[in-house]
Amino acid sequence: MEKLISELQTKIVDLLNLPDVEPQDIKPEEQLVGGRLGIDSIDVLEMVIMIEKDYGVRIDSRELGVKVFASLETLAEHIHTNASA
Amino acid sequence: MRIHIIGLGLVSALGAGIHSHCEALLENRVGIGPLTLFPTSSHDSFPVGEIPIPGEADGLPRTHHLACLAAEQAMSNVSDAPDAVVVGVTTGGMSATETLLRKKVKDPALYQHHATGSVAAEIARVYDCRGPVLTISTACSSGAAALKLAMELIRSGRAQRVLAGGADALCRLTYHGFSALQLIDPGGARPLDVDRRGMSVGEGAGMLLLSANEPDLALAEVLGAGLSCDAYHPAAPHPEGAGALAAMQRALNDAGLTPADIDFVSLHGTGTRDNDAAEAKAVNALFGQDLPAHASVKGATGHSLAAAGAIEAAISTISISKGVIPANSGCRQPDPALELTPLLAPVHKQVDAVLSNSFGFGGNNACLVMGSPGRYPAPEARAGRRMLRVKGHACITGAGRTRATMHAVRHGKTCAGVLKSGEIAATLSPARIRRLKRFPRLALALAKGASASPDDDKTPEAVFMGTGWGALSETSDFLEQLFATDEQFPSPTDFVGSVHNAAAGQIAMQYDARGANLTMTGGDYSFEQAFLAAELTAGDCQNSLLVVGADEHHEGLSPLFDGSAAQTADCPADGGGALFLDTNGHANAPRIQTVFFENCGKEEDSRPRFGQVMEGLPAFENRYGVIMAGLPAACRRKAEEQLESLLEMSGFKGVVVDYRKYTGEFASASAVAVVMAVDIVMSGRIPASLGSEMEMALGAKGILVAGFGDCMTAIEVMNP
Repeated sequence: MEKLISELQTKIVDLLNLPDVEPQDIKPEEQLVGGRLGIDSIDVLEMVIMIEKDYGVRIDSRELGVKVFASLETLAEHIHTNASA
Repeated sequence: MRIHIIGLGLVSALGAGIHSHCEALLENRVGIGPLTLFPTSSHDSFPVGEIPIPGEADGLPRTHHLACLAAEQAMSNVSDAPDAVVVGVTTGGMSATETLLRKKVKDPALYQHHATGSVAAEIARVYDCRGPVLTISTACSSGAAALKLAMELIRSGRAQRVLAGGADALCRLTYHGFSALQLIDPGGARPLDVDRRGMSVGEGAGMLLLSANEPDLALAEVLGAGLSCDAYHPAAPHPEGAGALAAMQRALNDAGLTPADIDFVSLHGTGTRDNDAAEAKAVNALFGQDLPAHASVKGATGHSLAAAGAIEAAISTISISKGVIPANSGCRQPDPALELTPLLAPVHKQVDAVLSNSFGFGGNNACLVMGSPGRYPAPEARAGRRMLRVKGHACITGAGRTRATMHAVRHGKTCAGVLKSGEIAATLSPARIRRLKRFPRLALALAKGASASPDDDKTPEAVFMGTGWGALSETSDFLEQLFATDEQFPSPTDFVGSVHNAAAGQIAMQYDARGANLTMTGGDYSFEQAFLAAELTAGDCQNSLLVVGADEHHEGLSPLFDGSAAQTADCPADGGGALFLDTNGHANAPRIQTVFFENCGKEEDSRPRFGQVMEGLPAFENRYGVIMAGLPAACRRKAEEQLESLLEMSGFKGVVVDYRKYTGEFASASAVAVVMAVDIVMSGRIPASLGSEMEMALGAKGILVAGFGDCMTAIEVMNP
């Protein structure tokens, strides 16, 4: 799980081109969307595509998205539980 | 002045023409069904509003074909050419282009109909229109915004009769793009329904022939129009519907009507959770307890993007002329949270006035009010045209920003080139531009440069953008990723960024500019179109507005799309210019206005036309010290002949500058030329490098920036 979280930290910073944010700045339990990091709804959709592409896990409704993207921790858990590999 | 609708054409998933739409609406028929136009992976398959005709016809892309079908209906009883053509388009030839790009076809000739502006050009060719031919790309409000500009062309006296509307065909870009944004209802759109999950992408065209002259039989009148910008988010509406409410109020004010006059509200009603919620709040705020009949037709037609506003204006006209109010198809159980009571079945009822809503990405809102012929007092004539004055100007070229560019010009050096990305971004906030690629960065940097006026802290209320090709990087990246992943993983960010008006939306967000926000895409004349749009709507603006022209050079796409760039592939160039304009008679600033805008298409001899154009214009020799001529490489010979005719007819003997020699070849080079003209007028000196033997005083004279080729345009920059 720690490995997955650290992998996601790097991927998210790269994917979203977050200025002045280092991977370890995204704290696992911190609010991921709409908070300090400046991640918004378009970023969420970009992460949805990345997660489906890289982990084969589909997040195809907004209701599910709200739960899954609550924090890095909830995201990692969702991927861990649902990834086929 | 009354503006009569004397011709009407529409094509949608419900059929073609007034009669078949009337029938379909009365039967509450739904035109949404499976996609057959192009194959898709089973992963991502959902219903669309497709029109059952072959993909392409007569070598023209589908959007052009649909637009021509609608235009043919609108022009069926008329033999005279329209004075102007205004078309809202977002996809243009994309349906053909994406197929060619996927096959890696490199022949520029095959991309000749890619440009959004080529749709209006085709209609102008068919109906021999010689006046302004304008293309507007404000995403899903384009069709309604086109009708607003058409109205203003008539009100300003520039045209008596205008053919205007919108068109868009289904293509992979929009089909997969909206899906990547999770804005598609897999069961088909059901606007306002409690279980709605999104829209259905559709296609179609709507064209209306508007006339200042009272006909024997008018179908309806266009009474008013209102534009606004949310200045809130690139793709989501303002949650309280603030921009939507402002646009509706402006349209009613423009028409001289009150909410109580409206019999039917044709809702934008896409079926997405956010749009319907925001629109419901705005509609309830405007009408309160006395909400008239209201419905969205997008559950029947699908959302035909740039065509939607025009198709719905056409359906509103049918409502008035036939006494039919369509149902809100697709909706079974209205969402109680919306506090709306959409019509679940069509009704026969006299309709005297309709409010038609269109909202789009970039927070672009356009609302129209239409009414029964002669039923309401003629809207009051507006105050005369406002003189626009330049409070701020900025350009970006290969040489750098304004100062570096003018330094190069004064030393007779070219400034053509592609400025490093880091230099463009130098003045911009990293957080604001983290998702933006080259074109929106250019636009934001230009807006910032022009708005940095030291003696004025006002920010622009309205934004007018001209771009020949828009966000090429985002478009290319979106399609590449789409094809590379077998259509499974397109980027939502690139889709939002690929929309032509995304950059103008960013500028609006930067300055909280909630007035009109129009993006014009007419090839080499895009900046001139944006400036004309600004002049036409300046009366709605209290203080100041921004006009920006920009294009990015894209290594893969520019040489395929832009014939002039293809001819100068060894010297790629891009950049643009921006003007911060005052609408209130700010003294001691250069005055700027359009002198003429003429479409010539394939016309051979331009002399007779210049003869007509110059009647009523003051003598060039006394008025201008310099003519800056835009001679695009792709049509250089024709453009040179036109310039010669102009010089011959006007007897002009002053300095003539072939400005693309300085700027390089790109569609909005004219924006740089206008900024150069402003800079020279302000300095009062004509640099020796521009062609005279020594530096000369410009005196009280101004500069004419003229464009040649498929259109002949002229903007003058005059001393205060």
